[in-house]
Amino acid sequence: MVAASINAALGRAGLMLMLGGAVFGALAVLYGIRRRDAKLLRQSPRYAWLALAGIVLAVAMMQRALITRDFSLAYVQQVGSADTPVLFNVAAMWSALEGSILLWALVLTGFTGAVAWRFRRRTDDVLVGWALIVMFAVTAFFALLSFGPADPFAAGAPGVTSGPGPNPLLQNHILVLFHPPILYLGYVGFTVPFAFAIAALVTGRLGEGWLMETRRWALFSWAFLTIGILLGGWWSYEVLGWSGVWAWDPVENASLLPWLTGTAYIHSVLVQERRGMLRVWNLTLLVATFALTILGTFLTRSGVINSVHAFGDGPVGAWFLTFFAAIMIVSLGLIAWRGDRLRSPGAIDSPLSREGAFLANNVIFTVFAFVVLLGTIFPLLVEALDDRRTVVGAPYFDRLSMPIGLVLLFLMAVAPVLPWRKASTELLRDRLFWPAWLGAGALFVAVFAGATGWAPLVAFGLAGFAAGAALRQVVLATRRQGWRGLVGRANGGMIVHLGVIMIAVALASSNSFTHSATLPLAEGDVVEWGGHTFELASVTERVNDRGSESVLAANVILDGGRTYSPAITTYLNIGQAVGTPSVRTGLTKDVYLTLEAGAQAGDSEATIRAFVKPMILWLWLGGFVMAVGTLLAAFPGSRRRRATDPVSAPIDTTPDHASADPVEVGR
Amino acid sequence: MRAWNQRLKRWPGWAALLVVVVVVLAVGATRSTGPQTQEDRIDAIARRVACPVCDGESVYESRNNASVAIRNEITDLVRENRSSDDQIVGFIENRYGAEVLLVPRASGFDALVWVLPAVAFVAGVAGLAVAFQRWKLQAAATGAPTDADRALVDAARRADGAEP
Repeated sequence: MVAASINAALGRAGLMLMLGGAVFGALAVLYGIRRRDAKLLRQSPRYAWLALAGIVLAVAMMQRALITRDFSLAYVQQVGSADTPVLFNVAAMWSALEGSILLWALVLTGFTGAVAWRFRRRTDDVLVGWALIVMFAVTAFFALLSFGPADPFAAGAPGVTSGPGPNPLLQNHILVLFHPPILYLGYVGFTVPFAFAIAALVTGRLGEGWLMETRRWALFSWAFLTIGILLGGWWSYEVLGWSGVWAWDPVENASLLPWLTGTAYIHSVLVQERRGMLRVWNLTLLVATFALTILGTFLTRSGVINSVHAFGDGPVGAWFLTFFAAIMIVSLGLIAWRGDRLRSPGAIDSPLSREGAFLANNVIFTVFAFVVLLGTIFPLLVEALDDRRTVVGAPYFDRLSMPIGLVLLFLMAVAPVLPWRKASTELLRDRLFWPAWLGAGALFVAVFAGATGWAPLVAFGLAGFAAGAALRQVVLATRRQGWRGLVGRANGGMIVHLGVIMIAVALASSNSFTHSATLPLAEGDVVEWGGHTFELASVTERVNDRGSESVLAANVILDGGRTYSPAITTYLNIGQAVGTPSVRTGLTKDVYLTLEAGAQAGDSEATIRAFVKPMILWLWLGGFVMAVGTLLAAFPGSRRRRATDPVSAPIDTTPDHASADPVEVGR
Repeated sequence: MRAWNQRLKRWPGWAALLVVVVVVLAVGATRSTGPQTQEDRIDAIARRVACPVCDGESVYESRNNASVAIRNEITDLVRENRSSDDQIVGFIENRYGAEVLLVPRASGFDALVWVLPAVAFVAGVAGLAVAFQRWKLQAAATGAPTDADRALVDAARRADGAEP
C-alpha cells in the first residue's frame, strides 16, 4: 500500500488509528470484564477517543483531498472536479460508495464516543462494557471495509488531472449537504440500542434497565431517520423533475425498512417498560432494525438488486452479506440461549387495551416491513428461481401500503384513548365521541373541497378521527398541567402523531388528486389549464461563470404574477442534461413546472409540463411537527411515578366509572 | 354542560354520526369526477410501465430516450382512443416483454408477491389471537388476589409513603 499523496498517507493513518482503537478497545474491555479489572475498564473511553480521532483525521484528509483537487486519489478522480462549487465539493465525499462508508464510519465512531462519554462513570458496569464491545466491533467492521473493498484512499491512475465531479443530480440542491448525514445519524444511531440489547443478552440482565438507558438514543435515531427520509423526498421533489417524492426504489426502501421496524419498536417498548412483557419481541425488533440497515446497504451497494448475476462483482456486497449473517446468527443464538430468562411473568388481559393496540400496531408495522422487503427482493427471487427478469414497481407498493396506511390511521385514532389493561365499550363510547365527529368533519370538508373516491375519503375521515384523538389527549393534558402537558412521552407522542397525520393527508391527496398536462406555449399567448394561466416570456440560455454548466430555461409567467423558470441544465464536462423543475409552493397546492426537451435559446415557443399537486407543503410541515414532537417526547413529563404506584387505574365496577380521569400522564 | 355532553354521547349521538358519515362518504365516493383528461390517462398508464433500461423506474418518472419513446407510444394509443388502459398496457407488454410491467401478474410464480403479504397478515393476526388465548388461560390459572396479597401491596405502599 504505497500512499499516493500526503492526503492518502494521513488518511490511511487515520483509518488505521480508528481500526486500532476499535479492535484494541473491544479486546481491552473484554479482558477487563473477564478479569474484573476496574482499572482497565476505566480506560475504555480512551479507545473510543482514539478511534474518533482516527476517523476525524481520515475525513479531514478526504476533505482536504477534495478541496485541493488531489487527483492522485482514485476517489477524487471519480467524484472530484475543478468545477464543483465549494459546498457540493464538501458533499462530494458521500456521493459514491467509498466516501459514504467513510461518512458512516464517522457517524458510527461518533456514536461510540458519545456512548463512552455518557457512561464514562459506569465503565465497571458489565452491561456498559458489553455494549461498548459491540460498538467497537461494528466500528472495526467499517474500518476494515475501508481497507478492503471500499478504500477511499486508493491511488488512482497516474496522469489524471481532472475528474467529472459528482453525479450532476448531486450538485444542484442544498439538500445534498443535509440529507445523507441526517439519514446516517438515524441509520447508524440504531447501533446504540442494538449494542445494549446484545449486552443485555450477554450479561443476562434482561430486565428493563437497558431499555431505559437507550430510550432516548432510540428516539433520536428514529427522529433523524424520519427527517432524513423526508429530506430525501424533498430532494427528489425539488431536483428529479418527475414531481414525486417517493418512487419506492430499492435505495428508498432500504431506508424505510429500518424506519418501519424502528417505529414498531418505539411503540412496543412502552409495553415492556410498563408491564415487563414482550421482551423477546422487543429484542427481535431491535436486532431486525439494525440488521435491516446492513441488509439494505448490502442490497443497494452491491449491485445485486440490478441483477442477481452481478452477485460476485462487488466485493462490498459479500462483506455486508457476511456481516448481516453474523449479526443474525449471534443475535438469534443469544436470544435462544437466554430463552428461559426472557419469559415474562405478566399477561395481557384484553385485546381492547393500550397494550393490545400496541400489539396490533406491531403486527401492522411488521407486515408493512415484510411487504416492502418482499417487493424489493422479489425480482431477485424470480431471477434466482425462475431465471427471468421482472420488476416490482411503485404501483405494487402503493396498492399494498394503502390499506396498511388506513389501518394504521384507525389505530392512531383508537389507541391513544385506550387505558392500560382493559377498556370497556362505555369508555370508548365516551372518549371517542368527539374525535369521531372531528373525523366526520374532516370527511365533510374533504367532500366539500371536491375530493372523490373511496380510499382518499376514508383516509381523510380517519385522519380527522386520529387527529381528534391526539388533540383530545393534548388538550386534557395541557388543561391539567399547563405547558407541561406538552412534554413527556405520551403527550409528545401525540404531537408526533399529528405530524404523521399531516403527512398521511398530504400523501393521500397528492397521490390521488394530482393532475398534469403538457402545454405548448408561445410568447404573447396566454394558455389556460387547471385553473391557472401560463404565458411564455422568453427562452434563455445561461452558462455559469466557470463554463461548466449551461441552463436552458423557459421563463413562464404563472397566473399573471411571478415568473417561474423550469429549465434543462446541461453539465458541459460530461454532456449530461438534467431537468430542473420550478415550483410554486402553496398552502393547498403546488404548481410544478418542468421544461420538455426541444426548445432553443431565443425561441418564442417552448413546451412545458405542468403538474398541479395538492397539499405537498403539508409533507414538510408534518415532518417538522414530528421532529418537534419527538423532542418534546424525549423529555420526561412533570410527574414521575413512584415505583410502587399501580401501573394503571384499577378496573372500576361501578356503573359511572366512564367519567374517570382519562388522562395518562407522561412519565 | 357536562350532563349535556354525557347525554349527547349516548347512542343518538353515535347514530347521527353514522348517518352523517355514510351519507357524506356515499356522496363523495360516487359522484362523477368529470371526464378524465387524456393527459391523466397517459400518466396513469405510464405509471404502470417500467423503463426498459433503468431498474424499477416507471416511464412516467424516467427521462431517458427509451422511456420517452414508450411514453410517446402510449400517448399515440390514447389519442387514437380505441383501446382501454389494459389493452394499451398489454400492447406495450407484447412489444417489450413482460419485464416492463411494474405491477407483477397475479398468476404463476409472481402470484407469490401478492399472496405472501396476505399470509403474513393472517399469520400475524392468528399469532396475536393465540397469544391472547394463552394469556387468558394464564390469568385464569392465577386466580383472584388473596387477602395476603392485598396486605403485601398495602405494606409496600405504606413503606413508600403513599396513601393506603
